[in-house]
Amino acid sequence: MEDKNPLSPHIQIYSWNISSLISISHRITGVINIIALTLVCVWITSLLFGETNYEYIKFFFNSFFGKFIIVGITWSFSFQTLGEIRHLIWDLGYGFELKTSKISGGLVIFGSIILTVLIFLIGR
Amino acid sequence: MNAATKKWIFLKASSIILIPLMVWFIFNLVYLFDKEYFEVLEFFSSQPSKFLMSVLLVFAYFYSSLSISEIFEDYVHDVNIKGFANKALYFFAIIIPLITIIIIFNLSL
Repeated sequence: MEDKNPLSPHIQIYSWNISSLISISHRITGVINIIALTLVCVWITSLLFGETNYEYIKFFFNSFFGKFIIVGITWSFSFQTLGEIRHLIWDLGYGFELKTSKISGGLVIFGSIILTVLIFLIGR
Repeated sequence: MNAATKKWIFLKASSIILIPLMVWFIFNLVYLFDKEYFEVLEFFSSQPSKFLMSVLLVFAYFYSSLSISEIFEDYVHDVNIKGFANKALYFFAIIIPLITIIIIFNLSL
């Protein structure tokens, strides 16, 4: 029998607000992160091919696109980490009030941008 | 305990383990990405990095495969396509970290 149940979470009929934006972004960054981690696996594997061949990887990382990818990965990891902390706080039974949920959603968005900048300032 | 509860517990446990590992990794990624070959090799060849990177890969792929299977559950209607997508997902979630961990433990200066 064909399953006629609607698929959730009905993004086409959502009234967009900060919670739905964070929810869908959390999923998208989760997928981006695993693609990014797979690229990291490729990066690690490239070490096997020696210093000469590594120049291609270094050239890519030093290009505008390479740097853009690294900044993007940093933001995506930061967003996912803060989003996951928000989820864990919910799991402890806190932060469900509408106002608190909106504030914590805003903290995830702006916090991820601030965290990305901080990571670059400290990490470089 | 039903399967959904087990899945939820595995997701939460792996996310608690992943948070500090992701912070550790992202700081090192930002530092290392444009460095010379031997500096990158030295990082991945060191004993703490080998261990932490391996744990990160195992839990990240485990967590992601559970999360992405939830996305398939929500958005893929066709049972056959969903089944195939899940099998492919679990296959790659095992094989990619496994190969990379073997490579990491074979790296040396």
